[in-house]
Amino acid sequence: MLPLILAVLAKGDGDLLARLQRRDAQALSELYDRYGGMVYRLILRMVRDTGTAEDLTQETFLRVWNRAAGFDSDRGAVGPWLLAVARNRAIDYLRSRGVRAEIMELNETENPALFATMGGDPLHFDLARHVKRALELLTAQQREAIELAYFEGMSQTEIAARMGQPLGTVKTWMRRALEQMREALPSALARGEAR
Amino acid sequence: MNCDELRPDYLLYALGTLEEPERSEVRAHLARGCENCTAGLKEARLMAYGLGAEVGGPEPPRRLKLRILAAAGGLPEERWSWFTALVTLAVSAAVVLGLVINYERREARLRSEIAHNVSEVGALREALALIQAPDTREVTFGTGQPTPPRGRVFVHPTGVLLVASHLPAPAEGKTYEMWIIHGGKPAPAGLFRSDQQGNAIHLYHPPAAVAPSDVVAVTLENAAGVDAPTSTPVIIAPF
Repeated sequence: MLPLILAVLAKGDGDLLARLQRRDAQALSELYDRYGGMVYRLILRMVRDTGTAEDLTQETFLRVWNRAAGFDSDRGAVGPWLLAVARNRAIDYLRSRGVRAEIMELNETENPALFATMGGDPLHFDLARHVKRALELLTAQQREAIELAYFEGMSQTEIAARMGQPLGTVKTWMRRALEQMREALPSALARGEAR
Repeated sequence: MNCDELRPDYLLYALGTLEEPERSEVRAHLARGCENCTAGLKEARLMAYGLGAEVGGPEPPRRLKLRILAAAGGLPEERWSWFTALVTLAVSAAVVLGLVINYERREARLRSEIAHNVSEVGALREALALIQAPDTREVTFGTGQPTPPRGRVFVHPTGVLLVASHLPAPAEGKTYEMWIIHGGKPAPAGLFRSDQQGNAIHLYHPPAAVAPSDVVAVTLENAAGVDAPTSTPVIIAPF
């Protein structure tokens, strides 16, 4: 039953995107119902201020609302795209506060085309659980390095400086961590079969 | 660098944090359509999604959704019809109700004021007519007395008009009552009040014509009036 429910949910994303492209405000409402909490929590974790998190969540949804036309509604995965936009908004904010150096190519990471062939695979909806389990299997140092890269947008050089470790050591930690996480993903995703 | 060497870098590339020279290597593989790197990046983006989606924390405040929908150019139709329409209806009903109540209160107050003014005008006209009538007699009282009140009584076969000044303010629960004393027997001739300056006008229509020997007197009595005087008269005016 669960795969069927997940499949229905995933199919709903494609329909949602098509309606967003037609500027259907009700579709934006449904998109928020589905992903609003996830987006807000991610941003709040990064900026650690509720007022700023609300502002950036609004910016995220408006950005998606205004750029939905560039998305492939048949094969696109709106969740990954939405979270990429949310993360970039938060990192932009951290940059503006001087918390982060400007080393990232944010626009490059949230281009809708990058998410257009990911497919509305039902496995996406179970992904967070697998990733969470995988993170729990990492060492504290590996987990910290991955979280610094994701939540603070740090490069490996910056992570090494923050953690007071040689760059080569940090690269080794992260290489092993990413291999472990990859192995913990559902096999279909790990083989790149989700289209 | 080959694809196996780049594999650990896919996630950092997807996150936008991969440094040189690895970043250029990944780009070069993608540019030439490398299937391994393309699939690897797809997987990395899903992993990044998983990292963001697993974050715990509080739910956003309810107002945020409405704020976002409003900023996007309007609330959805369904929301408007149920929420806004109800609010609009409630506010409109409250405004209309307030206007009606205010209008009715104002109308009632105006009606009362008009009725009072009409009554006063009518009484004044009547008093003026009595004063101007050729068969009206005028009696002055209080002049030469050391203490007020003072005034006049106009006596006509159809009415007795008292015009007084310097009346002392009645105590709480008391009012002035006029009497017409005929044959030594006082008959009630109406209640009246003085204004803040101690002035009063009172017109009384007796059931029978007054006699030249009658006397007008005024006493302070209970506000409801009494059948016979209970206090010393403050005014005595023989006809």
